Amino acid sequence: MPDWVEPVAHYMIHQGLPTTLRLAAYAVVGSTLIGVLLGTLLTIRFRPLQALIRVYVEVWRGLPILITIFIVYFALPTAPVIHHRFGAIAGAAIGLILWGSAQVAEATRGAVQSIPKEQHEAAAALGFGWIGRHRSVILPQALRRLLPPLVSLLANIIQNTTIASLIGVTELLATGQRSIERLQLTPPGDSHAFAIYAALLVAFFCISFPLTRLAIYLERRLV
Amino acid sequence: MTLAASFDWQFIWEHLPDFWTGLKATLKVAAIGIVASLVIGIVLGAARAHKIPILSWVAAIYVEVIRNTPILVQIFFIAGGLTQIPGHPIRLEPFTIAWLSVTIWGGAYNTENFRAGFEAVPWRYREAGLALGFSRLATFVNITLPIGARIAMPSSINTYVSVLKNTSLLTAIGFAEVTDTAYSLDSQSFKPSEVYFALGATYLLVVWTLSAFLRFIERRLAIPETR
Amino acid sequence: MKRITIVAAAFLIAAAAFAAWGTAAPGGKVAALAGPTAKPKKPPAKPKLPALPSDVRKRKKWLIGVKCDFSPFGFIDVRGNHDGYDVQVAQRFASLAFGSKKKVDFTCVTTPSRIPTLMSGRVDIIVSTLTWTQARSEQIDFSIPYYSAVGRLLVPNNSSLGISSLGGKTIVTTRGAIYATWTSNCFKNSTLLQVDSPALAVAAVKDGRADTFMFDDAFLLGVATQDATLRLTGDKFLNVPWGIGIRKGDVAMNRWVNAALRYMKKKDEFVKILRANAPARLVPGFLDNVPRPKNTFAYPVGKDVASICP
Repeated sequence: MPDWVEPVAHYMIHQGLPTTLRLAAYAVVGSTLIGVLLGTLLTIRFRPLQALIRVYVEVWRGLPILITIFIVYFALPTAPVIHHRFGAIAGAAIGLILWGSAQVAEATRGAVQSIPKEQHEAAAALGFGWIGRHRSVILPQALRRLLPPLVSLLANIIQNTTIASLIGVTELLATGQRSIERLQLTPPGDSHAFAIYAALLVAFFCISFPLTRLAIYLERRLV
Repeated sequence: MTLAASFDWQFIWEHLPDFWTGLKATLKVAAIGIVASLVIGIVLGAARAHKIPILSWVAAIYVEVIRNTPILVQIFFIAGGLTQIPGHPIRLEPFTIAWLSVTIWGGAYNTENFRAGFEAVPWRYREAGLALGFSRLATFVNITLPIGARIAMPSSINTYVSVLKNTSLLTAIGFAEVTDTAYSLDSQSFKPSEVYFALGATYLLVVWTLSAFLRFIERRLAIPETR
Repeated sequence: MKRITIVAAAFLIAAAAFAAWGTAAPGGKVAALAGPTAKPKKPPAKPKLPALPSDVRKRKKWLIGVKCDFSPFGFIDVRGNHDGYDVQVAQRFASLAFGSKKKVDFTCVTTPSRIPTLMSGRVDIIVSTLTWTQARSEQIDFSIPYYSAVGRLLVPNNSSLGISSLGGKTIVTTRGAIYATWTSNCFKNSTLLQVDSPALAVAAVKDGRADTFMFDDAFLLGVATQDATLRLTGDKFLNVPWGIGIRKGDVAMNRWVNAALRYMKKKDEFVKILRANAPARLVPGFLDNVPRPKNTFAYPVGKDVASICP
């Protein structure tokens, strides 16, 4: 193993990778909680509420994630009304959650609406109120159908954490780039960019591929 | 409310020409990416659906690698990694890197979309074509492709819109599309609220227009019985 | 139902585990790599500094934005730690305020993101190769200078480019740098290419996508020393000092930072920091760029340096 590999690998695995996973964890948990809530609310036949959530969903799905993160990180803190400070990781997490929750809301709406009407009617006949029947009958079934897309979302979010490198978060991609820059300026000046970027592709592939396979498996088994 | 009063609309107005220049670059790259990924999707999707030897395997690897790695890393690999291949450095122009990376990404996702679409064409239609004496290729062109492509349309529209959105990441390699223009403008003028509001509005406008346009085409092309 | 509860629970536990690992790892790493710091036998003289700003005092550590891609001022060393001239100035602030140079958390910033990062409040100050300009001084406050850079041109060895022959050529620099503004103002028939990191700009010159990289002398000299295919032209321009970025109107911060810088200047500490970060044979050439007891740097107030064309 050439000399340069060990410190680079150490830096990437011990500083970059945990940050990537941490950011992904925040984003997935946040997106799921908010998205399921919004998606369920979307199924209520109350036009104003539906319209409001629809705007949220269309905006955060329509904007590229990078722009959402720029807005949250650069524009929001100086906006005339809102004055809030977040660290770079929090800013990236919020941006990812805005996008992710919009995706999950759409998927949840689809999942809840795919539950046959008979289930609602049977539950109502048994005396369940709206909240009761959603909690005990509809949502459990909807969440089963939601699991494959949620696993896919996890894979997607892990990949999208790389966007955070553009606002200064030191996640996996950024650690690779800092290493390339350092190597470029150390004798003999070979940045090994090809090897490092290839290693990044392999690393992300190894994390994402099992998740996408799992999503396919779950889709077959649970739905 | 102070929100509207302190927002510098004049600033946005003055810089619309810059945004337009950046937007033109965005649209150029996105257009190439969308058309190219349409072509790649049909060709490789067909290869996968018909299990053409070798090509099907190569396509499968291509699809899995691209779909399971971040597009930003793919962009940096093409822009920075290829220039460092020991012995055979490959150096590309920013514009080339731009359309190439979004094409490679879009092509992989579209291959999956079309593969699913072609495989969803009921076997009896293809069987009928072969029974009528069409060659495999003719069956594909006359039967599988028209029906399968329509089945694939919703997911492939998603991919085309994503290709457009992904062009925003090209700012990372200094390609002067609209996000890059906005980022540079903010770093010199220190008006992030105005700049990113304008940028966000631009993207929503373009993305929603493209979506609506593609869905209009989808409705127009739909098979009459399914309308 | 039981099966998905189990899968969902496993999912959330895994997510929590990743989050915990992520939060734990960096801290652990810093602790593990803490080497022994050479302490002089006599206790260092306590400088009489004004009161620390209350945020910093309550937190008991600094949050400082630094460059992570700009050697030798702010970069990541082989062990993954922040190092460089700027970083060591920041660490000196930590030791002056709290007695230990570890009492500081660094945030990586780039040229386009440093001022927004400061303005949003997520760092106390930015020590990030920040050149004074009229436009920037309207947004934020600058401390007294802590370094003075000169602009140079990096070209391939066989190029005969000079500052007077830039017409029609492509100039690359980092986004939002003073050189970008100067180029847009003074070299209107050259193409300006802006990238986010100095390393990308060097790559652009080596790949032929740009004819020259216009940037600060310290970084470019490091590159040219390293890379035999590149050299610096003789042109020197835009000699403007760098300051520490402070939020506008933060009187307590301004007072403390300037007092600390004056103290360090009096004790000739900047030379020590320079020596720790530049190769020995280049140090003599840069002794005039750092604050020393007998020199003064001044910002060109009232002059918009970026509009003064050669």
